[in-house]
Amino acid sequence: MTALSHAGRRRRGLGGTLAFHTILTVVCLLWISPIAFVVLLSLRTFDDIALNGLGAFPTSFTFAAFPEAFRSGGVGRGLWNSLIVTFFVVTLTLALASMAAFALSRYRIPFRRTILMLMLAGNLLPPQILLIPVARIAQGMGIYDTLTAVIVVQIGFGLGFYTFVLYGFMRGLPKEVFEAALLDRCGPVQTYWRIVLPLCRPSLAALAALATTWVFNDLLWALTTLQSEAKFPITAALLNLQGAYASSWNLLAAASLMAAVPPALVFFAFQKQFVSGLLVGANK
Amino acid sequence: MSTSAPPATAAAPGEGRRPRRSRLGRRVPPVVWFFLLVPLAVELFWVFWPALNSFWLSTTTWGGVGVAEPVGTANYERLLADPIFRTALWNNVLWVFGFGGLSVVGGLALAVALNQPRRFVGVYRTVIFLPMVISMAVTGLFWRIVYAPGGPVNNTLELVGLGHLQQQWLANPDTALGAVLVAAVWRQVGYIMVLYLAGLKGCDPSLEEAAAVDGANAWQRFWRVVMPQLAGVNTVIFAITVIDSLRTFDIVWVMTRGGPFNQSQLLSTYMFEQAFSYVNLGYASAIAVVIFALAILFIITYVARQARAEEDDL
Amino acid sequence: MNHSSPFGITRRNLLLGSAGLAGSAVLTGCVGAGAGPAAQPSTGTGGGTPAEVAREVVLQSNMQDAGPRQALADVIGGVSDFDVTINTVATSQFRAQLPTYLTSNQAPDVLTWYAGSVTNSFAEEGLLYDVSELWESGNASGFSDALKDLSTYDGRQYFVPTNYYWWALFHRTSSFEEWGVSAVETWDEFMGLLDNLQTRGVAPLTTGLANNAWMAAAWFDYLDLRVNGADFHRELLAGQHSFNSDEVRAVMARYAEILPYFHPDSLSWDPQQAAAPIARNEAAMYLVGTFATAYWPEDQQSDLDFFSVPTIDPSIPSAEEAPTDGFMVAANARNPEGGKAVADYLASAAAQQEFIEKAVSPNLPTHPDVDTAGFSPLIQKGLELLNGTDQITQFFNRDSNDELQGTADTALMRFINAPGDVDVILADWQTAAEQVFSQ
Repeated sequence: MTALSHAGRRRRGLGGTLAFHTILTVVCLLWISPIAFVVLLSLRTFDDIALNGLGAFPTSFTFAAFPEAFRSGGVGRGLWNSLIVTFFVVTLTLALASMAAFALSRYRIPFRRTILMLMLAGNLLPPQILLIPVARIAQGMGIYDTLTAVIVVQIGFGLGFYTFVLYGFMRGLPKEVFEAALLDRCGPVQTYWRIVLPLCRPSLAALAALATTWVFNDLLWALTTLQSEAKFPITAALLNLQGAYASSWNLLAAASLMAAVPPALVFFAFQKQFVSGLLVGANK
Repeated sequence: MSTSAPPATAAAPGEGRRPRRSRLGRRVPPVVWFFLLVPLAVELFWVFWPALNSFWLSTTTWGGVGVAEPVGTANYERLLADPIFRTALWNNVLWVFGFGGLSVVGGLALAVALNQPRRFVGVYRTVIFLPMVISMAVTGLFWRIVYAPGGPVNNTLELVGLGHLQQQWLANPDTALGAVLVAAVWRQVGYIMVLYLAGLKGCDPSLEEAAAVDGANAWQRFWRVVMPQLAGVNTVIFAITVIDSLRTFDIVWVMTRGGPFNQSQLLSTYMFEQAFSYVNLGYASAIAVVIFALAILFIITYVARQARAEEDDL
Repeated sequence: MNHSSPFGITRRNLLLGSAGLAGSAVLTGCVGAGAGPAAQPSTGTGGGTPAEVAREVVLQSNMQDAGPRQALADVIGGVSDFDVTINTVATSQFRAQLPTYLTSNQAPDVLTWYAGSVTNSFAEEGLLYDVSELWESGNASGFSDALKDLSTYDGRQYFVPTNYYWWALFHRTSSFEEWGVSAVETWDEFMGLLDNLQTRGVAPLTTGLANNAWMAAAWFDYLDLRVNGADFHRELLAGQHSFNSDEVRAVMARYAEILPYFHPDSLSWDPQQAAAPIARNEAAMYLVGTFATAYWPEDQQSDLDFFSVPTIDPSIPSAEEAPTDGFMVAANARNPEGGKAVADYLASAAAQQEFIEKAVSPNLPTHPDVDTAGFSPLIQKGLELLNGTDQITQFFNRDSNDELQGTADTALMRFINAPGDVDVILADWQTAAEQVFSQ
């Protein structure tokens, strides 16, 4: 179907193709330059940076920053904590949000628009201002300083937003599919599980990729609900590497690159889903 | 308030499918209530309860410990007289349009360009998304180097004969906000692109083909055929953009911290400074309430109208 | 309104009911209503009620820089009576979390912090554990009266200072030799030195004002100490004088004199980047605290030297800035006695000596019995500087508070941007300061 639909479009000339790739190559160079910068920085020695400045071309070359960053400041442990938290937050938030979005978008629930707006409104307040109340609530519930607290807080805070986004996508699903489901006497659970979730795969994958980068890069919620360094995420370890007065930028760059690998892999894995995934229109 | 159009009246004009649709939507099975109420309860507990606390704190003076002292509307009165708040508010209005507008246009353009089955598009998409996975600390450092005296921006200006425009971009009160805005858009574009890519997957390619057969050019096809199908996604992106514009924090904090002398301050950075550098939690909460009110103003009016327009179309 | 199912209405009522419940719970207040559940003493977690002092001690530390961090870990490694867990949290976040830590019913036992107004405000709220015993019979009993004053709130001690550092004009010995210049003592000589260096094409002064302009306050502090003296400076920061006064105007006049001698890129550098031009012999001097020695490459460490900001008015008693760091014990701690014992250990001469030897940046001990003979020449000279001065202050924010520091950052950056607007800038500064003091 994909092939057919594209064959229907007008063929592009060689000039168009060349322009397309030239423009995008330039754009990509602009977008990749910080990563090149970070890579270069991670391969320099501290003394080279201290003498020649951060913006200078390297006059030193060493991989030493990687093992050193990994050993110091709990980078390894932080990565592991971040992976655990990210996995549970992303999975549970998307599960709950897709359930709520399904209910709101497909059923005549009284005040459903108000409920949706209310859930979205929860995300309009800057998260920073909720930190101290959240810490107190976690303490009151006895889950302060546990990964559970980090996970449930972030689920709560993400829900409204993801529900809103998924609601938008679910409203766009063709009605005929649901009518067919009704005729097949599918219950709500089957409809949700067998029809809505598969059809929402592109948007779920896109959201999962985005959510992974956000949750993985979270610092504020973790430091608000945690006190023990053994439970800190990678971002807190990065912040410690940065130093209060003096920063070992080469170590920080190396650690940042290590921390970038998991969300980058997730994006890579998921982009297939929202790019070449199921074409809704092709189902008709 | 009428959330559900009464099926009995059947007021909606000429849609033959209505009876069937209302049969799907009318009766709400218990399990669907469960689907809705569990997430709602979690959010109410972890977001609304603390949020109500913050609303209440905005009427007090509180330093994080001890008893908060009620001061009525004093914090709000102080906001009106606070020159830094006025700067931050104005900057934020500029920010909503500059940051929001540019990132949506850029993200949409990239999504459309990269939604085609061409060579290397997967590589391009990944590259544009990659900045989001790099830690904010080194991102901020990178941009400070880019804008530094003798950095790439100034060197490029020199190279193309615009040497007189060279300056310390982040230290100049006139250019700091704009310089940060470019960095923020650069980071946001990948995110908007991902959402539009997901939205474009939901578009029906046969409609575009039909239009092409009818002789519509690419520009017409995009605006008349593709855009209408993206209505739902557009609503989502509008909301995201407004929320993010009002909450932008990290990139400003790592690049200028609102400086020099508060000239690149946004509401969120000023709030953070009040809350965590000065521990004026009452005053900071009042700023947060203003951010909340602005977001409501921008979003609820737009989104609610959108939702109402769709309402009859369940 | 036409709800098709009574079932839905019931559910909606349920929903509204639970929302109302949440609302009423909020009215009782989960924040801002005092110390909350943490006010009750925690009754032994993990089983045993502590009849004797428990072994577990949690040390919450903001020493994130590699040198001090490792040194603290090494020193703590010598504690045998307790199992100490160190949690390092970046300073910026540590400050934000302090209220949460201290009000938690599982507060860390002992915490790093610095002496001054913030510590006192925690003591006032009853969140700090009384450590007066350490000042009577513990390792702090031999500390100076000035340190004791700094650690006292309402007649009791709540803080144990363990080290401090100093600020001065840092430069490289070899560069000064190369240029044929040397340290100076008077303002006229200093201006002559600045001129001399500038004609050689060297930037006489650097500083780092990007991102966070707090460094600008270092020169303000020192010029105020030199022009008006430490007593006036303390009173100014306590709100007893106006920033719009003739005295402050005189300070700004001196500030204006030196502005042309700063490397212009100082505006775009952070404090660390400002050290690089000195490392490359492109700039000469940097008014900075000893933490900055970590900014220079390894092979230049022994080349670093410093001198005090020159005298302006010989009739004014000399003064230096020396911020003091130390430890406090949380009242809500699970093991406050253990925390106190660890603080006492950290205050001992042996522990201080080990910390200073291992921390990369130069620190000075608070314990009089520390054998300083083995310390580096730089530390020896720092000791000499502080022993020879009449008065000691800390730093703008430590002598006042972080919010007043914010007003200083704004005013000083505006001044550096447009020195001619000094009148309106000082008037605005005073307005902002009054707002801070009125709270």
